[in-house]
This record gives sequence, C-alpha cells and structure tokens, in this order.
Amino acid sequence: MEVNSSPRIINLSGSLNVERAAALKTELAEALAGDDKLLLGFSAAEELDLPCLQVIIAAKKSAEATGKELHFMGSLPRGIAKRLAACGFLRDSSDQADGLESSLTGF
Amino acid sequence: MSNPMDKFKATFREEAFELLSHLEDGLLELESQPLNGELINAAFRAIHTVKGSAAMFGYDSVSKFAHEMETALDLCRNGTLSITKEFIGLALKGRDQLRQLMEFEGVIPDDIAIEGASLLQRFKDFAAKAKPKEASAVAVSVVAEKSPGAEGETRATEAPLAEAQLELSYRISFKPSKGIFKNGTRVLNLVEELSNLGRADIIPHLELVPPLEALDPECCYAWWEAILTTAAGENAIKDIFIFVEELSELKIETLRGELGGKAKPLGEILIDRGDVSRDDVREALGSQRKLGEVLVENKLVSRPQVESALVEQEHLKKVQERVDSGTNSIRVASDKLDALVDLVGELVTLQARLAQTSIDISDASLASISEQFERLISQLRDNTMSIRMLPIGSTFNKFRRVVRDLSLELGKEAELVTEGADTELDKTVIEKLGDPLVHIIRNSVDHGIESPDARVRAGKPRAGVIKLAARHSGAYVLIQVSDDGKGLDREAIRAKAIERGLIFPNQEIADQELYNIIFEPGFSTAKAVTSVSGRGVGMDVVKREIDSLGGTAQLTTKPGAGMTVTLKIPLTLAIIEGLLVRIAGEFFVVPLSTVDGCIEIRNDQLGALGERRIINYRDELVPYIRLRGFFACGNSETGGKDEAEPEIEQIVIASAQEYRVGLVVDQVIGDYQIVIKPLGRMYRDVDGVSGATILGDGTVALILDVNRLALVVQRESGLKAAAGGA
Repeated sequence: MEVNSSPRIINLSGSLNVERAAALKTELAEALAGDDKLLLGFSAAEELDLPCLQVIIAAKKSAEATGKELHFMGSLPRGIAKRLAACGFLRDSSDQADGLESSLTGF
Repeated sequence: MSNPMDKFKATFREEAFELLSHLEDGLLELESQPLNGELINAAFRAIHTVKGSAAMFGYDSVSKFAHEMETALDLCRNGTLSITKEFIGLALKGRDQLRQLMEFEGVIPDDIAIEGASLLQRFKDFAAKAKPKEASAVAVSVVAEKSPGAEGETRATEAPLAEAQLELSYRISFKPSKGIFKNGTRVLNLVEELSNLGRADIIPHLELVPPLEALDPECCYAWWEAILTTAAGENAIKDIFIFVEELSELKIETLRGELGGKAKPLGEILIDRGDVSRDDVREALGSQRKLGEVLVENKLVSRPQVESALVEQEHLKKVQERVDSGTNSIRVASDKLDALVDLVGELVTLQARLAQTSIDISDASLASISEQFERLISQLRDNTMSIRMLPIGSTFNKFRRVVRDLSLELGKEAELVTEGADTELDKTVIEKLGDPLVHIIRNSVDHGIESPDARVRAGKPRAGVIKLAARHSGAYVLIQVSDDGKGLDREAIRAKAIERGLIFPNQEIADQELYNIIFEPGFSTAKAVTSVSGRGVGMDVVKREIDSLGGTAQLTTKPGAGMTVTLKIPLTLAIIEGLLVRIAGEFFVVPLSTVDGCIEIRNDQLGALGERRIINYRDELVPYIRLRGFFACGNSETGGKDEAEPEIEQIVIASAQEYRVGLVVDQVIGDYQIVIKPLGRMYRDVDGVSGATILGDGTVALILDVNRLALVVQRESGLKAAAGGA
C-alpha cells in the first residue's frame, strides 16, 4: 500500500457551476479514496455556484466522518468572496479560503 | 427681535443641503448601478423630503422644482422609465439648481431662473417619455398622493417624513425546492440580491447537505434565513423570488413591533429598586445555564436554530442602536465649536502660567492643584478636539462629481475610487483641504488620464482610475491622489524649468526635486491652455494651501503608469505638542511631530562661515542651519562671538518631507503643549516661522516652520554643491 504523508492538492479552476457538480463529486470522491489529506485551492476558480459548493461541503462531511482531512487553502477570487459573503458563507470580509472553511464549520 | 421662523428656516436649509449632498452621492452611485432599487428609493425619498419641507418654509420655487424631479424619479422607481446616463446628468443638474434656489432665497438672479425653466422642461420631457397611458395614470397618482406646492402644503410636508423613515426589519426564510437547479436557477444570485436590499444578516443552513456518497449533485439541500432591515418594502423582497415562487418556500415576517419600547429585564428593575446589587445579578446570571444550551440539550431546537435566533437578536440590537444614536445626537453650529476650542486654548495657556507660578513660588498645595488642573484641561482638550473631528469622506464625495463632470467635458473616461473615507481630521483642516484636492484631481483628469483611444493603444482599460486614499500616520493624515494615466514627462518639466530659470541648463537634479518644481507658481508644461488647466495656476495654489496647513505635498510618478500626489497634513491646527527651545534669550517651538532627536555639539565644532554645514547623525549626513544666525538673534554669523552664545549648543534633528535637517539652538527646554496663534499681517511672510504661541509666563514663542527651514537648508547646500562642482 502506498503511504502518502504529503497532502494532495487540488486546484479548482474555471466555472464551478451546476454542469461541473457531478464531475467534481467524482473527482473529490476519488481523491478522498486515495489520500488521507486533501487541500482544495480556489484561486483559479472563475465562479463558485451552489451545486459545487454543496459538493465541497459534502466532501468535507465525508472526510470528517472517515477520519480524513480536507482543508481549503490560498485566496478566494474577489468576485467569489464577495458573493459568498453576501450569501452568509463568509462571516468576516476575508478573501482567504481558510476563512470560508472556518465559516462553514458548524453548519 | 429675531423671528423664530428664521431659526427653523436655517435648520431646514442646513438639513436640505445635507440631503442634497446625499442625493448627489446617490445619483453618482446610481449611474454605475442603474438597477439598484435601494438607490432609486433613497434618491426619491431625499427629493421628496426636500420638496415637502421647502413648501412648509415657503420656498415655493424649490418645492415646485423638486416636484418635477420627484415625478421623473418616481417613474424610474416604479419601472416605467429606466435610469440612463442622460437622466443622471439631468438629475445632477437639477440637484445643483435646487441648491442654488435655496442659496438665493427670495430674489433669484435671471440666469438661474432661465436655467431652472430649461431644466424643468427637460424633466417634463423626460417624464413624457413614459407610455402615454401609463404617464397620465402615474401623473394622477402622484398629484393625488403627494399634492405638491401651494395647493397642498400641509399634506406635502407630512408625507415625506413618514416615508423617509419607513425602514422595517424582516425575518425571511427561503427554502428552495430540491429540483430548483434543473431549470437553471442560480440560487446564490437570489440570496445576494436579497442581501443588497438593505442591511442584512444572512444565515445559510447546510445541515441537510449529506456526505458525498449520498449527495445528488443536481439537488438543492441548502436553505437560508435572513434578517433584513430595509426601506424597500415587502414587495421588493417578494420581487426577487418572483420567478422561483413555485419552486421554493418563502416566508416573510415583519419584525415591526419588536423595535423600541423594550421592557427592562428583571435584573435591571431589581437593581433600580435597590433590592439587589449589580454584582449579585451578575453572579446569579453566571451560575445560570444559557437558554439556548438547555433547549439544544433537551432536543427542542437544533444548534443552527439557536445560532440563527442569536443572529436575529444581534441584528435587531444593531438596528435599535442606530435608531437610538439618531435621537442621542444633536446638531451644533460650527462657530460654537470654534469658540469652544478657542476657550480651551485660553485655558491651556492659563494652565501653563499656573504651573509656572506654582514652580516660582514653590508652594506644594498650589502645585498639587495645578497638576490636577492640568489633567482636567488635558482631558477637556482631547474631548473638545475629538468633537471637531470629522470623517474626511464628507469631502471625498464631492470629488466624485468633479471627476464625472470633468471627464465628460474632456471626452475622457475616468472613475474615482476612494479609500479610508472614515479617517478623521479636524473640521478646519478638512474645510481647507477641499480646494487643493479639487486642483490635484482636476490636474489628474486633465493632464494625467489619457483619452480612451490612447489608453487602449497603451494597453490600458478605456476608463482611467483616480484613487483618493486617506490614512492616519502618527500626528498626521496622509492623503494620496493617484492616477493610472501617462505620468509626468521628465524632459518637458526639465526644459520648462531651464526656460524659466529655475535650474541651470547643466545642473544635475534629482527626479524628486525636479517633479516638485511643478508646484512653483505659474509652472505648466501644457502646450495649450484649456478651461480646466494649463495656466500653471493650481498646483502652486495646492502647495501654498498645504503649507498654510503646516503640511507637505510630494509627488511621485512613473512614466506611462501614472502619478501620485501625497499630502501630509497635521491632524489639527489648534493645539499641538511642541519642543520648546531657546536661542539668544528668545523662545521658539519646534513641532514635536517633526523632531527625530537632539544632539549636543561644541560651539567650535560647528563649521565656520563658508564651510559646508553638515553633521553626521546616525550615519547620515544631515545639513544644519544655525537659527541664531538665520533669525539674526545673535551676531555669530558676522564673525564676532556673541557673549550669550553657549560653548555647547544643541542640534535638534527634524524631519521635513523626505529630508532631515539640523536646527542649531542654544538650549532645549522640553516638550510643551502649545496653542497655535496666527501671526499678524506684518509677520505673515517671515521665512521659517509658521505661527506663535503664548508661554506660561506670558512671553511669546515663535513656532518654527520646519518644512520651510529644510527647504532653505537644502537649497543652500545644493547651491554650494553646484558652485563647488562647477
């Protein structure tokens, strides 16, 4: 069995909209099956819509349930951060992905 | 005896000017967000209030004009007509006209009356663009509801207040159906739109999102609760969700009765009655478990439900605080504040005399009183000064209009971006900053920002950006105006400076110094004089005004990338901390904020006449000036040795702009709180002195103008260097 101590990094790019949700689900499910630690980056994303956001939240719930780790890293593009803040997903006016992660904890 | 109505009229005018200023800001914002309902409503309410109040105070021309503007805005508000750039331009002119009508109370000059008539017609023409049937229906409803001008003054004055304050809080729950994604609905767009309606706290609920394995990516699991305070009304909220009405569950409840009139908690009542102490109540509350925790533990509510309720509580508390703060503030005429500051200044001076007297007569009890008095005066001074502090944003707003109008006039595209609008600065300083900033911004739009085509050719966006930023830096405020235009042309400035004899043709000069030449009177490199700039009048005015504020102006530029003017302005002009020094028996004050340090030096170590006057201070060569000679207090400059000249002198190292300069004095006495007094007309042009102050024993001390002295020193050492090098 391959022991992988360094986290796997997935940089999400392009439009994360409803069309991408199914593919993202598969990608994250495969990543979680193969790695214990996942880092998700959003800096190259152009938009982040609810379907993909739900997939990411679901992946986080799965990771927690199976003792794995899934964290967010890097910055959020300004447009995405603004929309997430307006929709209550970012509690402070942070544009950092870990701000989103801590805001989502507890929902 | 003055007519009591005059007092009300004055208050009305003051409030109306404020409303018109808000209207201007709102219209400028509306120009970039023409679909923002909240902004249209705010503009409508402002004009509606002005109209009603104007009718009440007999400003009929204002009321009639405002009525036409209101009609046009109402057509935009109800969606019959859309907000266009032309309409914003017209509305801005209308706003200016209203201001002028109010300024010329009674007798209105002909040109303003003619302009008014033409604008009125344009508003009517605009309103007539509405479909004939709808237009007449709207016109009837406007007349019936708002009865403008002379026919219905009483109703017209009652209506606006009620409408202007109609801000309500709502609890909204939005549960999209599971299949909402399938018809392409972007749920986040709807929630974002809701949050833009007013002050909103949005609480997303994600507890229904399952783990990844069980998730259907095409299903919506999230739902929202929101607490929203807005004047837009319930229908505006419903409108957002109108297309998903059947695909979601929407609940809107008004929290109308829950604001104000709040009953006191039991603990507060018991404390008021003297039955228990505050500590007892606090202890009892500490031992009590929080209601939310108990309810969650008993599984009566979920944790997210408690958190959502807490957000609602917090939101309403903030709204209540806003309401309360509105009633807790009062409007005071600014000259009363000025008088208060003057009196505090006198007290500070008197306190210094008291302290001096108590030292002179060595009376312990008097010294103790003097110390207490000093503490109180110091608090009084800080409080008074803080009352005069205003956010600089109040002046920022008018520059948005300057940029808009000027860029239109010049066929350019430019946008003003502001930062740090809440930076506070003394009222007097803010008032004096207006003109210099207008000059700098006009200069940026006219000379800095290129035409849209030229910008595109240079690989820049069509619209230029002018950034106006303010921030605190110690006892100063830094105000920066930067643009992303073409920057300064070094060679053109150099050529012009040589032509005007400001520098020698072969003189080497640092870029920074060269750029600062544009602050010289009459200096302009513009090839043609426009109505805006190019006469070289402007940047020297900026420099003069900023100097008079005790501030500095600096300029940096990158060819092709733009220019930045940085103004460093003292926070206040009234009372400052200073370093008291003595030269040949005379007292002088160096503003403490400029002082870097003091060093001692033997008199015979100081350079003799004709030598370079430079000292090594912390590994930096600092030029110095002997103030004894500069102010002709002693006669050492003429070769003889003044008897009063001490063997060991002090050099106060002060910073001015980017330079350090040494000021040679006989003795440094210590820091001193000084009340700045302006110099009389006779002394206004004395170089190196910016004001005066009265010391504790009643003697006068001059306040040194460090910027000016630094310039003299730099020029002297520069000239010597040039002469030495030639």
